[in-house]
Amino acid sequence: MTTQLKTLYDSIDPEIIETVETRSAEIANGASASSKVMAALALGSVPIALGVLSKEAYGQAPADVVDVLQFALLLEFLEAEFYNRGVAAAGLIPAEDRAIFTTIMAHENVHVAALQGLITAKGQRPNAKPTFDYTGKGLLPGFNFGATQYATFLALSQAFEDTGVRAYKGQADRLINDKPILTAALTIHSVEARHASEVRRLRGKKGWITQNSRDDLPLFTQAVYQEEDNFTQAGLNVVALGNGNGGSNAVTEAFDEPLTKQQVTFIVNPFIVGAP
Amino acid sequence: MSDKKTLVISSASQLLDGKTRRDFIRLMGVGGAAIFLPSVLTSCSDDDDNDGFDGGPIGPPNSGAPVVVDFAKGDIAIIQFAYALEQLEADFYTRVVANMSGFPAADQGILGDLKNHEIIHREAFKIILTPANDFTLNTNYGNLNFADRTSVLATARTFEDLGVAAYNGAAQYIINLNNLRLAGKIVSVEARHAAAIRDLIAPKSGSQGDAGTSFAPKAFDDAFRPSKVAAAAQGFIVERVTLNNAPAAFVQGPNNNG
Repeated sequence: MTTQLKTLYDSIDPEIIETVETRSAEIANGASASSKVMAALALGSVPIALGVLSKEAYGQAPADVVDVLQFALLLEFLEAEFYNRGVAAAGLIPAEDRAIFTTIMAHENVHVAALQGLITAKGQRPNAKPTFDYTGKGLLPGFNFGATQYATFLALSQAFEDTGVRAYKGQADRLINDKPILTAALTIHSVEARHASEVRRLRGKKGWITQNSRDDLPLFTQAVYQEEDNFTQAGLNVVALGNGNGGSNAVTEAFDEPLTKQQVTFIVNPFIVGAP
Repeated sequence: MSDKKTLVISSASQLLDGKTRRDFIRLMGVGGAAIFLPSVLTSCSDDDDNDGFDGGPIGPPNSGAPVVVDFAKGDIAIIQFAYALEQLEADFYTRVVANMSGFPAADQGILGDLKNHEIIHREAFKIILTPANDFTLNTNYGNLNFADRTSVLATARTFEDLGVAAYNGAAQYIINLNNLRLAGKIVSVEARHAAAIRDLIAPKSGSQGDAGTSFAPKAFDDAFRPSKVAAAAQGFIVERVTLNNAPAAFVQGPNNNG
């Protein structure tokens, strides 16, 4: 390590250095480095190289943030079209529940537009809306927003909203260095949680998730609730905090858990025409 | 003591009355005296603030010793800040649950869950902070009548919406990924609470905007800077919550109101 680099490192959190050093070693050993890193190294500019590298090593390069936004856009497309079609379907949503779903519908469409705007602001082109299949390629045979299918509509709504909450949460890591996007994503994330709570209670369930229970939803939705029965928070087992305070059920309810992009993709792919 | 005012309190229930209680607090603040007739002393044991809970000094909000949250401590300060809010919420719902016997059963189920969740949040933060960074806040809800459903739910809504905006706004200052993850796991539960409380107040409402009654009144939740959150919470906290070295920079959320 050069003196110059050492000095620079001294002002950086040790955890970051460890990550960067690991990644540096990987790159030195032939792992792929972006052209920006290689260009900076070629110019002999260590600080610039470190600046670019630290973003890549930590996973918040601009391209990564855009990837998060495109991923969120896909989920918002899925939800927005679901509610657009549901609200438009004659006889599906009872009059007393319409305000709930017109509200959620409006929010999801605003989220779509906002994400498209954020992606555009990053100099990238927002992905186009795919074609959706709300039968989940046969998981819900015959579902077509029919007047007698409100129960199925509600079930899918709950599954989509609970997935949305967990999906945004799982992407926070990748946004930690982009504060405007992190903050925007969080303000959407908590609105999805409000939606989830309302729809769950409309279905006669608690507004929060107990253990890893999908309640009465179909088996294929279990992936939405997997690992929600986690008791490790900030590296500590917190199950005992439920003693006298609602037991382990309350402990799981008190913390929503993230889903990885891979886990979310597994959940939503059946609803996307052409997806594997 | 001719120039000092004296308040005669003849029964414990008088302290439950908002005016008496405000008079009492005001009087104590200017060095006045209150005379407790024996009936009070025999009827309320050591329940200082007459809220149904023994212990805890009475005092108006913002009158006690300072509790310093020093942002120079980095993530510890963010956790302390969240811890203060969770203490407030946990204390509030503990009092609510102790007084909700007249509420509908559906309310009681939800409020009981919220009490448990907030206590669990509080205790998790307490462990993470370790005794070195721990503190205890005392609360003061003014003349809030805990037996009145409308008042209780309105206050709950204030706390839950504030909690959501607080986490959404503070996340930008978090350095450690584990702490960011923890905040993310809690904020969505606070949002679930907020929606449920709002739906109890105005069932199935779609009313949008700052004054909207809907479970989700905006397409984007608020993100408030810590000083804005602290100012709102201070109205219920006896100790003076003092933010030292609070970051000057704040990245606004989409609502641009933090």
